[in-house]
Amino acid sequence: MSTDNKQSGFKRILIAIIVAALAMAAGIWAARAVLEHNSVQDELDATRFPEAREIASFSLIDHNNAVFDNSVLKDRWSFIFFGYTHCPDVCPTTLSILNSVARKLGDLDEDIRFVFLSVDPERDTPEQLAQFVSYFNADFIGVTGTPEGIEQITRQLGVLHIRAQPEEGASGYLVDHSASVFLFDPDGRYHAVFSPPLSADAIAGDFKKMLQAYQ
Amino acid sequence: MIKHALITVILLAATSLAGADSGLQVSEPWVREAPPTSRVLAAYLTLVNTDDNTVTVTAISSPDFKNAEIHRTVIEAGVARMLPVKQLEVPAGGQLMLEPGGHHLMLFDPLRTLTAGETVTLIIHMNNGKQLSATAPVIRKTGEDHSHHHH
Ligand SMILES: [Cu+2]
Repeated sequence: MSTDNKQSGFKRILIAIIVAALAMAAGIWAARAVLEHNSVQDELDATRFPEAREIASFSLIDHNNAVFDNSVLKDRWSFIFFGYTHCPDVCPTTLSILNSVARKLGDLDEDIRFVFLSVDPERDTPEQLAQFVSYFNADFIGVTGTPEGIEQITRQLGVLHIRAQPEEGASGYLVDHSASVFLFDPDGRYHAVFSPPLSADAIAGDFKKMLQAYQ
Repeated sequence: MIKHALITVILLAATSLAGADSGLQVSEPWVREAPPTSRVLAAYLTLVNTDDNTVTVTAISSPDFKNAEIHRTVIEAGVARMLPVKQLEVPAGGQLMLEPGGHHLMLFDPLRTLTAGETVTLIIHMNNGKQLSATAPVIRKTGEDHSHHHH
């Protein structure tokens, strides 16, 4: 690869990061601004939107090859994390935290869904995801799809994912990706986002407060 | 059994000898058991420098893997990326923690199946040409209560 290509590749990544950061910052700023007088937000580590956001249609498949789209998000709370199964540090750590959250929320009379949504559809087949998510929790759901399908949802949430340039002699590639956890309410709307560093206690505590405010 | 115990004792002695010699010691090494789908594992440990000089770690290797690298996870603007790290400097009389979400050792392509309870040999290479070896247990960490390991 020529130096020019590399530079323009790097520039593209930089611009993408800046755009995603701005989109996210704008969202958080807008939420905070409106929430000045919102007592729920004051008690949260998470960023909760005063008015949950509708999500434009997207179409993906889960690890059992069933359709996973907007309609699936309805009727239950959903925690969604974006990652890839070849990720050895951040993704297993986050799924372990989410499994802890699932246990902490187990005594609630709520049906809560935990979703691992792949940003590496090339390697993450439904079969691969089934093995990966069930290693952490048999009820976790793995979701993948076409690159376009994944773009449909990540773009709306400001979730960045970029395949990193593999090093020379590397046997695989890494994917840089969002480290946040996204919460959808039973109306299927984007309700709140948990930003890193994540903690199971903080996520479970915040969720209980948001649940109360929602009812 | 006795032979096994003897080998362990010799290995431990060798490890601590190398440690004492280089001024660098490894504490609490562990390897995260990988889900059945992954050929890449992460190892974590704390490097303790009892010497009067900074010790620089230039590379790691493991006879249990095809390839090993030093990495660092950085989270910027909410985006996590893993970057290869050329070297680690452990300050005189100080320590450096390699932990989830930060510095870690990346282990590629295990040469045998590594499930929780087994051990992995890690070799730490220093810029003074010395090596330090550590035995790290493979630990299953999935957020279950029993997955927390105690010492
Ligand atoms: Cu790494």
